[in-house]
Amino acid sequence: MGPHALSALRRALPHAMPVMFAYLAIGIPCGVLEAQIGFGAPLAFLCSVTFYSGAGQFMLPQMLLAGMPMASTLASIVLVSTRQMLYSAGVAPYVAEGAAPTNFLFAATMTDESFGVNLDCFAHEAGWSARDALALNVCCMLSWATANAVGVVVGGLVSMPVTIMSFSMTSIFICLMVGQLKARPSRVAALVSVGAVFACKLLGLAGVAVLVGSVCGVLAGLLAQARGEVRA
Amino acid sequence: MTLEAGTLALVLTVLFAAILVFRVAPLFLLRGRSLSPRVSDALGLIPAAAFAALVANDLLAPSEMATQPLMFALRLTAAAVVALVARKTGSLVWSAVAGMLAYALLSLLA
Repeated sequence: MGPHALSALRRALPHAMPVMFAYLAIGIPCGVLEAQIGFGAPLAFLCSVTFYSGAGQFMLPQMLLAGMPMASTLASIVLVSTRQMLYSAGVAPYVAEGAAPTNFLFAATMTDESFGVNLDCFAHEAGWSARDALALNVCCMLSWATANAVGVVVGGLVSMPVTIMSFSMTSIFICLMVGQLKARPSRVAALVSVGAVFACKLLGLAGVAVLVGSVCGVLAGLLAQARGEVRA
Repeated sequence: MTLEAGTLALVLTVLFAAILVFRVAPLFLLRGRSLSPRVSDALGLIPAAAFAALVANDLLAPSEMATQPLMFALRLTAAAVVALVARKTGSLVWSAVAGMLAYALLSLLA
């Protein structure tokens, strides 16, 4: 490891620690679930350092174990992952001067949590660079990947209450959702999304419920925003 | 349900390719540029809509509501506890811990 990388690691580690601990706690239940659809520890680790999406990695086993069709599962995960575009767009102004390979790796390893921490560091830490941000992302990613691999091993050795553990991801979704409900259009989007999901399930369209619900929610949110602008 | 190796490889490749594009493309396309307000608004609403859909998908099961109302009420109560913790702390970890504890305790009582 070169001196620049070491220096970036030293700067990033204190900021990364809370997220790393969180990932250790959440990553193990995720690994337990992944084991149920055939993941081994090496694959769980590999998946976590490439696809690297807490929500997506929880959704994949949960939806497949619930009997959802593969195409619908994939479409739902891809749709949920589109939020990453917003994060990527959000940090673009801060890395305009960074080297292209560093920027690429930084963007490729960003999650909900590391985006939040990095955005705060870019805004408040003097001299916080794309290299520091990448170091932070890598620390968090390795923590997540290790926890996933451990979860796969532990899940294969002992019987674990998967329904309770999988509720941890529902809890994380609730926490992420609550954090989004600050403005009226977001609240409208969430409400319509919930209603659309329920309607889909009542109509026997559970396979596309998340996809349809999300799209309906975004459209309703845009409508609420437009009406708000007209009133203003 | 265990996936075959070929299916698993295909699934993970598709997911990795999609998320890589979502993560990397905007950063490189937008350096020095800005999005149109409408596109920006739509992107900004995706998290709220998507997370709400995921929560609803996990919690709302019409068949369970009819056949196992106690179980349904248990999940909703645990979710309400999580929402309170999330609002109070904003922490993913505490929310996950509170959710698992509430679910486990309520399951014991049910």
